[in-house]
Amino acid sequence: MAKKKLSKSLKDFWYGKPHTAEEGGRRLGELYEDKTGLFKHREWRGVKDTFYYMYMIWGYNYVHMVTDILKYSDNPIDFFKGTWRYRWMGQTYLPVIHWFDRGLQGMRGPALRASAWHYRAMVSASIQQICNFFNGDTRLHHGKENDAYRHTFLAKETTCGTLFYPWMDAGYQYVPIEMIPYFVTCHVNSHTVLNYIDAAQSIGLPGDPCPMCQAEAGIYVLDDVPDCAPFVITCNEACDGSVGTAILQDWFIDKPLFAMSLPMQFDDPLVRKFCMKDIEECWKFIEEQTGVPFNFESMVKRLELQNKLQRDEWEKWEVAGKTDYYPVNGVAQALFRIFSTQYGIQGDFWLEASEKVKKIMYRCVEKKINPFPQTRHRVIAWSCAPLYYSNWCTWAYNCWGLNTIINMDSLMFDMEIRTDSYEHMLEDMATYHMWAPMRRMAVGGMHHIFELWDYMERFNCDMVAMYDQLQCKGMQGVHGLFEDEFRKRNVKAFWLPHALPDCRTVSRAEIRRLINDYMTTVMHEEPLDPSLLDFDDSMTW
Amino acid sequence: MCKIGKFFLKLLGIFLAANAVLFVVFFFDLDGKLLFNVVEPFLKNHYDNMKRKDVLTMPYDTDKFPKYKYDE
Repeated sequence: MAKKKLSKSLKDFWYGKPHTAEEGGRRLGELYEDKTGLFKHREWRGVKDTFYYMYMIWGYNYVHMVTDILKYSDNPIDFFKGTWRYRWMGQTYLPVIHWFDRGLQGMRGPALRASAWHYRAMVSASIQQICNFFNGDTRLHHGKENDAYRHTFLAKETTCGTLFYPWMDAGYQYVPIEMIPYFVTCHVNSHTVLNYIDAAQSIGLPGDPCPMCQAEAGIYVLDDVPDCAPFVITCNEACDGSVGTAILQDWFIDKPLFAMSLPMQFDDPLVRKFCMKDIEECWKFIEEQTGVPFNFESMVKRLELQNKLQRDEWEKWEVAGKTDYYPVNGVAQALFRIFSTQYGIQGDFWLEASEKVKKIMYRCVEKKINPFPQTRHRVIAWSCAPLYYSNWCTWAYNCWGLNTIINMDSLMFDMEIRTDSYEHMLEDMATYHMWAPMRRMAVGGMHHIFELWDYMERFNCDMVAMYDQLQCKGMQGVHGLFEDEFRKRNVKAFWLPHALPDCRTVSRAEIRRLINDYMTTVMHEEPLDPSLLDFDDSMTW
Repeated sequence: MCKIGKFFLKLLGIFLAANAVLFVVFFFDLDGKLLFNVVEPFLKNHYDNMKRKDVLTMPYDTDKFPKYKYDE
């Protein structure tokens, strides 16, 4: 008996404890400290994976967070000044490694390695943006408008980075205004954004529009946006709340501003023509402001890299859809795609990460390694995800074996942009621009939101995680239609309510409870790891 | 033992000790605990008490810049 116990302990030490309760599992829920989500101790994943995590993820990323600052910053001191000046910076940058912890919990072998490379690329892209903010920020340079200031494009985060490629060869940088102060902070430290939501409401704005729009406005109300560019480009994001944000931005930025119009309808030739014209007007505005002409070669050079990244993704999706060998977990897949397609090719980090992931993936295919061996259901996640709990799918796999194969965030820019002529490029750019976030995933019309059925088939999914953004008027309007379709098609689906960035409306624990209820009462299944069913992480980042 | 051997042994000792310390920090999430309990509250306090411009006092001058219409 004692010999058997010793042998199991040695095996657990060497390989890590097994996943399931029946095998005397790892009980990941017991690693958390009450409320804070901090670990009593980090997970022991076996010798190889624990030390991989320690050196190649934890240590590697801490070191690279510093080297990235040195790489992208004109003066590293500005980085510290910026941290001291901006709440979204100080509160967000520090817990980055815990963002990794949350997304990668329970992962082993290729799943751990591949998913971490997606995270690494996102951190690198974030630091580049942060440095671009600070390099030109007049607040950090005694009001001086330096060269970096004159070479920065400031644009609303849903205005795709692709639009600015023509000026990249001339040394211009694109900074999406809210991507770091709003979007990234929600994932890394969900406490930060609450200040901005409350700030918007504190000036008398209503609390019921989309909290994303509220937070984006609140950043301005708290005067927390770097003054790093001579002009600004905004768009309406095809959402009425966002129109309100753009008006406030026009007021508070007080600089030349070009407002792009994302049409409420799309997939219509006349609307596409309108959009093409809008893009060309935007380019004329940039030419007028910078004095630098549109450069088609600069555009093509980057579009070809972007197309390569898209082809890489299709390659990966082929493996994800047709085999069990895809090594990227749900959260790493979704965030990498939404971030890379929206920010665009502003550096080599996306392609580098993609190559590394492909290499890991093909090794899994070759050696027939299933990186998610406890998969019970292949899930497709649809509509827009809770930013404060984007790692719910890591929890869902660990607790229930729900493996999120693909999600709407990944699929919305599912296209290449032709580069053979200006006309073709512009036509495709219009489509790309119209497929902005919140369009295909929320307010893009029946045709696109019901693409779900085709994608379910393509990715061989048997279950839907249906996000229910409680403050999105667009998606609230189609809730019943989805219910009807799920019944008609006999599709297994659970709803996941949330208020995008605001963790106070639907807590993480409530999201878990709803999934638990579905899995026990509808699916009649037992959890793989019962320790994860119920725990208090109400104060976590 | 020769001087070079002693030097390398010392170097190895320092390397192992540094790794042991790193492992303790990593495994017991000491970085997270420090950030959560000390650094973040300190920074929050700083940001909460920061003097900020009251942007609402800015006039919204809609005619300050041209309309940037290129189709007329």
